[in-house]
Amino acid sequence: MLALLAAFMFSCQGGEKKPEAVVDPMAKFKGATLNILCWEGYADEKFTKAFEDKYGCKVKGTYFGTEDEMISKLQADGGSGAYDVVSPSCDFAGYLVQAGLVMPLDSAKITRWNDLSGKLRGMADVRSGGQIYGLPFTWGPDYLIYNADMIKEPPTSWRALWDPKNKGKVSVPDDIVNIYTTGLVLGMAKTDAGAIYNMTEEQLKQCKAELAKLQPNVRKYWATAGELDNMFKNKEIALALGWPLTVNTLQKEGMNIKAVIPSEGATGWIDRLMIVKGSKNTDLAQAWFDYISQPENMAKVAEVTTYSVANPGAAAHMSDELKKSTYAGNENFYFERLNWWQWAKDRKRYNEVWNEVKAAVK
Amino acid sequence: MRKYLLLFPLIVWLLIFMILPYAFILIQSFLETDMFGKVVYHFNLSSYQKIFTSEVYYSTLLRTLWFAVIVAFVCIVISLPLAYYIAFIVQRNKVLIYTLIVLPFWMSYIVRAYAWKIILGQTGILNTFLMSVGLIQEPMAYLLYSDFATILCLVYILMPFVAIPIYTAFEQIPKSLIEASKDLGANGWTTFWKITFPLALPGIISGGTFALVLTMGDFMAAFLLGGPKTLMISNIVTNLFGTSNDRPLGSALGIVILLLILVLLEISSRYEKKYATFKS
Repeated sequence: MLALLAAFMFSCQGGEKKPEAVVDPMAKFKGATLNILCWEGYADEKFTKAFEDKYGCKVKGTYFGTEDEMISKLQADGGSGAYDVVSPSCDFAGYLVQAGLVMPLDSAKITRWNDLSGKLRGMADVRSGGQIYGLPFTWGPDYLIYNADMIKEPPTSWRALWDPKNKGKVSVPDDIVNIYTTGLVLGMAKTDAGAIYNMTEEQLKQCKAELAKLQPNVRKYWATAGELDNMFKNKEIALALGWPLTVNTLQKEGMNIKAVIPSEGATGWIDRLMIVKGSKNTDLAQAWFDYISQPENMAKVAEVTTYSVANPGAAAHMSDELKKSTYAGNENFYFERLNWWQWAKDRKRYNEVWNEVKAAVK
Repeated sequence: MRKYLLLFPLIVWLLIFMILPYAFILIQSFLETDMFGKVVYHFNLSSYQKIFTSEVYYSTLLRTLWFAVIVAFVCIVISLPLAYYIAFIVQRNKVLIYTLIVLPFWMSYIVRAYAWKIILGQTGILNTFLMSVGLIQEPMAYLLYSDFATILCLVYILMPFVAIPIYTAFEQIPKSLIEASKDLGANGWTTFWKITFPLALPGIISGGTFALVLTMGDFMAAFLLGGPKTLMISNIVTNLFGTSNDRPLGSALGIVILLLILVLLEISSRYEKKYATFKS
């Protein structure tokens, strides 16, 4: 099926007339460039190429390493049209809407809009004034990752990170996501999922004390996914808080790496595609949204990024392995277990607390 | 008039790369941000207040200073015999050996820091070697991702900055003085402490100051090789300009570091002058 599809795509690339094409799509967008400001891999040529050939345009991805980098790029750009599309995660998406950095999209122009996961497209954080600002794209958990060769008993709780047995064998991100996760472990999100993003000073102190206890177990706080991969490869660590990307990368290299969502649940992220305010290619951006939300293209996104994708229909175009690792077509699995990142109002204080943890300040 | 015309490029250079950025940072340090991290023009001193009242800032600043002192000291201790050797013992190929000290500069900092990861890791070259010859049974974990690794990397990176001024100072000492000392019956050790070392002090001080000042501004070593407790002041500054998006506080911290460094430079230049008794 996939081969057939590939053959079909290939024949399209040759510039042959598509059977169902009524008007030549080339006419409108020929020579235009769609600039996408996104997480690494979100503008990969494996799925941009066919779009470029169909419309005679170019897709240019600018990757950001952190969302702060994304914000500073958008703010520096100031709506001059350097970027057309941006891919924030759900902690920054609502902020982009409120800060007026993005424009609403037209879901009527996205043919597969109604096929997308109902829960994902219905989320309130990217809706404002009756308009929708974000196309759900990819999503996934912050896993508890472990090397099954070194950790014999599969961990079921985040407490495994604190276990004295694992002294010096743990890595967690150099990021405030640790504070959120510690909040989960301490049961702060039991009645209100958003509570871990809006902690009181007292709760922050509790988390700080907990993270101080974690410190003897930490080998290093990881800064990039590549660094985390290397620490696993060099046997510097056995357990980590990390993304699906690490699990898939290391499994492909033959390592016995496993990932769980522990009993306390985990934090998770949903990445949306949005149109940047000031974009001069809004129609092309809409065309991109329409193209990328097609099930076969979403399947390619999953293949490149190894993240779960928002169109459950993509499962039909995936290998069994990919279907399993991305929980394709099984949105409830994540929704029952994950606590979606939210904008932390007092982000500054969270970061300060994180620095205090690192500086070992009580 | 000609004189001023020649000065013009320098003035432009200083204006664009020194005065304007510092002025901008200075102004920003007195401002604050709204909840979206956007800088708002509301003049206040809260950032400075925070630096001197929140333990995380002043304690990290002091610890970084302590790190800098260690790095400078170790650099001097290693550089002294090295520079002495090149200046007084080596007869031929001086230029070659001198070049070898400078050679690491041809490689990027990050590559060199990564090299230490390969050497110091638990499955790294050093641990594997020591285990294979049976000197240790378990890999020494503290070698990498620790204060030790950070200081080691900084010493390695900054040593040429210290060795070169010391070597230059040694080279400038007239051989006649050393010969005179020996003629008067002093042994090599006494000659070194009574003649060579005091005359080289300005070079030692300026080299040590280089290491001290550059360590104060470094964040890569701690970022790449540090452990969970290794936090230097520049790591906080990068965090404030990045993730926390609190540029006024970052700027204020920058100004405080700058003032601290200016004080260090002033002290060092006074001592340099004090010991510069011999004008060659």
